[in-house]
Amino acid sequence: MTVAATFQIEYLQFLDPNGKVVAPLPAFAKDPVALLPLYRAMVLMRTYDAKAIALQRTGQIGTYASILGKEAVEAGIGAAMAADDVLFCTYRENGVQMMRGVTMQELLLYWGGDERGSDFAGPRRDFPTCITIASQCLHAVGVAYAIKLRRQPRVAVCMLGDGATSKGDFYESLNAAGVWQLPVVFAVTNNQWAISVPRAAQSAARTLAQKAIAAGITGVQVDGNDVIAVHHAMREALARARLGGGPTLIEAVTYRLSDHTTADDASRYRTAEELAEAWKHEPILRLRNYLSASNSWDKAQEEILLRHCNDQVQAAAQAFQDMPAPPPEQMFDHLYATLPAAYAAQRAAILAAAADHGPHHAG
Amino acid sequence: MAHITLVEAVNLALTRAMADDPEVVVMGEDVGRDGGVFRATIGLLDKFGPQRVIDTPLAENLIAGMAIGMAAEGLRPVCEIQFSGFAYATIDQILNHAGRMRHRTRGRLSCPMVLRTPCGAGIHPPEHHSESPDAMFAHIPGIRVVYPSSPKRAYGLLLAAIRNPDPVVFLEPTRLYRLFKEDVVDNGEALALDTCFTLREGTDITLVTWGAMVHETLQVADELGEQGIVAEVIDLATLKPVDFDTVLASVAKTGRCVVVTEAPRHCSIASEIAATLAEHGLLSLFAPVQRVTAPDAVVPLSRLEHRYLPGKPQILAAVKKALEFA
Amino acid sequence: MRIFKLPDLGEGLQEAEIVKWHVKAGDEVALDQPLVSVETAKAIVDIPAPYAGKIVKLYGSEHDVAHVGQPLIAFEGGADSDTGTVVGRVEIGHKVIAEAPAAATPLAHGIKAMPAIRALARRLDIDLAMVTPTGADGLITANDVQRAARILAAIGPQELLRGVRKVMAQSMTLAHAEVASATLMDDADINAWTTGTSVMLRLIRALVAACRAEPSLNAWYDSQAPGRRLLKNVDLGIAVDTPDGLLVPVLRNVEKRAPEELKIALAKLVQDTRDRKVPPEDLRANTITLSNYGSIAGRYASPIVLPPTVAIAGAGRIGKEVVAVDDKPVVHRMLPLSLTFDHRAVTGGEAGRFLAAMMADLQRPD
Repeated sequence: MTVAATFQIEYLQFLDPNGKVVAPLPAFAKDPVALLPLYRAMVLMRTYDAKAIALQRTGQIGTYASILGKEAVEAGIGAAMAADDVLFCTYRENGVQMMRGVTMQELLLYWGGDERGSDFAGPRRDFPTCITIASQCLHAVGVAYAIKLRRQPRVAVCMLGDGATSKGDFYESLNAAGVWQLPVVFAVTNNQWAISVPRAAQSAARTLAQKAIAAGITGVQVDGNDVIAVHHAMREALARARLGGGPTLIEAVTYRLSDHTTADDASRYRTAEELAEAWKHEPILRLRNYLSASNSWDKAQEEILLRHCNDQVQAAAQAFQDMPAPPPEQMFDHLYATLPAAYAAQRAAILAAAADHGPHHAG
Repeated sequence: MAHITLVEAVNLALTRAMADDPEVVVMGEDVGRDGGVFRATIGLLDKFGPQRVIDTPLAENLIAGMAIGMAAEGLRPVCEIQFSGFAYATIDQILNHAGRMRHRTRGRLSCPMVLRTPCGAGIHPPEHHSESPDAMFAHIPGIRVVYPSSPKRAYGLLLAAIRNPDPVVFLEPTRLYRLFKEDVVDNGEALALDTCFTLREGTDITLVTWGAMVHETLQVADELGEQGIVAEVIDLATLKPVDFDTVLASVAKTGRCVVVTEAPRHCSIASEIAATLAEHGLLSLFAPVQRVTAPDAVVPLSRLEHRYLPGKPQILAAVKKALEFA
Repeated sequence: MRIFKLPDLGEGLQEAEIVKWHVKAGDEVALDQPLVSVETAKAIVDIPAPYAGKIVKLYGSEHDVAHVGQPLIAFEGGADSDTGTVVGRVEIGHKVIAEAPAAATPLAHGIKAMPAIRALARRLDIDLAMVTPTGADGLITANDVQRAARILAAIGPQELLRGVRKVMAQSMTLAHAEVASATLMDDADINAWTTGTSVMLRLIRALVAACRAEPSLNAWYDSQAPGRRLLKNVDLGIAVDTPDGLLVPVLRNVEKRAPEELKIALAKLVQDTRDRKVPPEDLRANTITLSNYGSIAGRYASPIVLPPTVAIAGAGRIGKEVVAVDDKPVVHRMLPLSLTFDHRAVTGGEAGRFLAAMMADLQRPD
């Protein structure tokens, strides 16, 4: 028998769930102090996340998708990207977006139902939150194509979930990225759940990373709760892309510690025992244990950090709440570069109706 | 100056646009080496190279989706969907993203892309190659839909579409691709979007149409002329947004209107025109607006195509009905 | 019961003090309605209702400390708190609807004309109801409107009815629609009358006698109940022809008044009527009517009974007729009589007896 092809998928882990080093650390992680920015970023995003949930529960924002449990994926990827790289993400990547310079106020504006939240002051070229599953993968391919055409050293980073890897858009994107060797990194957060559908029901593939093989590109699986592993894999993938080495698919294995959204109740489809077990692998505790054990972090620093994060989050929430309601003509602004004459009457009607009902009518 | 067909005019406009603006790229299935299955993109690969004339893998979502990414980065992608029946797969990207990118980001990102596809019936092809997706695309907010009916208008409107800062779906009438020729000057001049073209002036009845049906409608107008009935013929050209001012002014003059489309009846753009005339032109009308359309049946295979497509007899019957009503 | 627990309010806080309840047990609350204000370390926060429902129980009083994750409010019903969605909020209502089948409305039989034609008619001041349509299916064409306009231009403008003529048109329409009229006719032999006898006074006297003999015809009829009132007094409506049209002034209580008084009153009434000096109250509420149309022309008639009265007597032109007396033809002066009555309230027998009584009185020499 002749073997036409074989494959193997590497798995990367440097810190085990207890925070113990289990593989030679990459250069950037050799000094634990160098990991402190990552730790701080993770704590800040978890603080923000809790606040967002509270704001939803008290009716200040609409449905919100929590990032609880995937802070290492967020921080590891966000910290690796260059400023003029381009991020594509789902609705569960607020952490990376924060690290890219999207303000918490902008994020809350988005969840509060206001398009102004996607007019990022910071990363002007990043794509906005994408709700439709996996469609952002195609956009990333387009951006990557433009980057390559212009010979720029930029990379398109496309984040998606385990469920998204079942979609045609995902396969079409991987395939095109491979055939054209585009500078794009597909970073899959495998948090084990697509709403109520568990990973085992999503695909027969042993790993999601191996879908890269079908596209002829590099694929690697990492422990998504180990920020060092995530960051390392991301740095390698970005370097590969920047040097013309083509695309990479990274599968970060983690767990969705929250409900799918604030309107979901995960206890309908998974057990408390499973959730409790998953908490034992969570990323912030793991890194804190490592940092404490290496005398790089203590209780006093933790308290200062928490206070600082609370203050930042509170200020952002306040700034969001202080923002006036969007003007009704916002509906027609930016519909086209210049609103066609055919729609002037409709715009005027919306404005007139708003004038009748008062400037801040909630309806 | 050259006598060229409609598809050659498309080719001429693409060549012109790509020569004038290095950001214009063309992509789709078989558009490079093969010059496109209808030869719309012939010669482009040789002139502009494989990075700007892209043979994509077989994936319509990809073609439309990556155009969105390219456009966000400032390229001017003109993507081709090979046949009308495959265009529906792109509606997810066009509706959910292309039409919304500017609005969603408050103008921070925009989407100056063109999606071209040959559509309409009459070339006796296999299934799925005779679609009229006019209304489906025209229903999408944030985009334009343009449908030329002659080589001159194909050239000028395609240039306008490529230069437009917003997404344009450019529907090309397959049946007219090579049916006749016209003098087209390659002067790089765009025609206006969002405006109708009055092809014949008249006083007795207004005929509104677009795409391949312009051909039959003009013939009907000529026949009516011989009977002493002077028909005004309006080519809508831009299906979204529609230039209703021209249509309303015409009906104010004639008092009677027939709208001709080869798309199925229900929720067709003809319905939109009839509704608008009822809303804003009611007092001018001496007869109800007549719609000449295909029936609400699946497009039959080619053996019955001639029974499905409206033609001159149907247009004449509608005109007669409108004239004799009261 | 559905238990709503104190949600996580953020900032790592595990408890909050209840500042003020906005609802109480038994209240029906709507989705998002503020339930309670609680105070965290720094802020007072309102907790909105997570769903619509009826409050069964509040856990804790004002100033108590509530703990995150502990019961806060119990709602009625629902074994679980399934929101039934993963995005947004799907409102849960408890109303049960029962749609009644819509009644079929009959097809409208309106005037069929295109809006442009209606506008044309308006411009030419043509009432579309007067236009005969020649278009298919009863459609009015532009030509139809223009034809009507030409005809009306030739005829001249219409006179709109006003005042007395308009009232007559309206009341006769109503009477015609309602009354079930029947008429008896006969002739009274008045040959024995002495010269100078006032016809009107004799007619009035005869009517009063007839009303005594048959009170049913001096009555008001109410079609709604249905019911009737037999009236004691005879308020006689007299039909008077004036240049403005028909008026019916009323002589009150003619049964009580002496002939001399009646004569003067009658003359005054007729003059006042022609001068249009009769007050409105004297133009209404008659109990029976008399029309002496014979003073102009006509022998027999079936005049219109105006509700609520039930009878109108008519006197025709007095003339010489050949009649049989003792089986021999003689020429006598005859007074034709017509009695129209509302058969809803008056029988043929009653009408006949009434008429007979009138005739008996009229046929007396004085």
